[in-house]
Amino acid sequence: MEKLTSIKLTDHPNEFPLEEDAYQVLNQYFDGARARLRTDPDGDEVLRDLERSIGDRLDGVIQSGKARIGRADVEAAIKEVGYVDTGDGSDSTAVVPSLPKARPLVRIKEGQWLAGVCNGLAAYSGIRLDWLRTIALFLTVLTGGFLILVYAVMAIALPVVETRADYEALRNAPAGPA
Amino acid sequence: MQLPWLDSWYLRYYLAETRYWEMEVDGAKYSTLRRGLLEFLILAIVSNEKVYTAELLQRLSETDFATQEGTLYPLLSKMRRQGLLDYEWHESASGPPRKYYKLTRAGREQLAEFRQYWQQLTSLIDQLGQ
Repeated sequence: MEKLTSIKLTDHPNEFPLEEDAYQVLNQYFDGARARLRTDPDGDEVLRDLERSIGDRLDGVIQSGKARIGRADVEAAIKEVGYVDTGDGSDSTAVVPSLPKARPLVRIKEGQWLAGVCNGLAAYSGIRLDWLRTIALFLTVLTGGFLILVYAVMAIALPVVETRADYEALRNAPAGPA
Repeated sequence: MQLPWLDSWYLRYYLAETRYWEMEVDGAKYSTLRRGLLEFLILAIVSNEKVYTAELLQRLSETDFATQEGTLYPLLSKMRRQGLLDYEWHESASGPPRKYYKLTRAGREQLAEFRQYWQQLTSLIDQLGQ
């Protein structure tokens, strides 16, 4: 049996029993929301609103007879509520896929095969990840393995970002060290 | 080294990607527009009756302006800071209490102003098209 973590959400009297990875996903979501709301004078209130909304949905899961909340339940709730988009500051970055100001090249751990270099390149360039991996594998064969060396250098040199969402947040963040 | 099939493969991929990109940029123009108008739509919806956020989202989801809590909540709190909206708590039969939003006098004025401006704008665009 997986370990359960009980959490409380604003205005919901009962605790929610979350599986470990569900708890982590939820935590990440609120961390991201908090980061994006740090310039909002009513940020705390918006966070409570979000908690209430997530709670409503998790409540639905419990009402439907499930004893514990899994990662998929949390992800579904987050998908419905959506990521925080404050719309000001870097006004249109959230809706316009225009080329962002800072485009750091990084490794992304989420869904990595080896070190996440391709994953980072895909996020950097907007090229689909599966295409990019195919090209990389192909070039590796074509160059007689030379690309492995390039990959290793990049794996060592590039900074690491946990998830693709974090990377997007980093890129869309108002001017700062990137 | 001659690899013609690689060329055509790459070209096809490249074209597909750029087409996709152009489409995105085109769509983005409208989404910027929608984003700017969202605030006024909220004013219009709230002007009729007190609504809570789930209702607001429901009303918007029937339109081109469908949005999510993650976008709506920061916007509502900004509009409240600007004095356009206010809310009060009401108990709900199921679950936690809800915030019901209503327009303030300033909100009403801004909505009236916007409606007028919007009419001017559409008639201007019509005229320019003649």
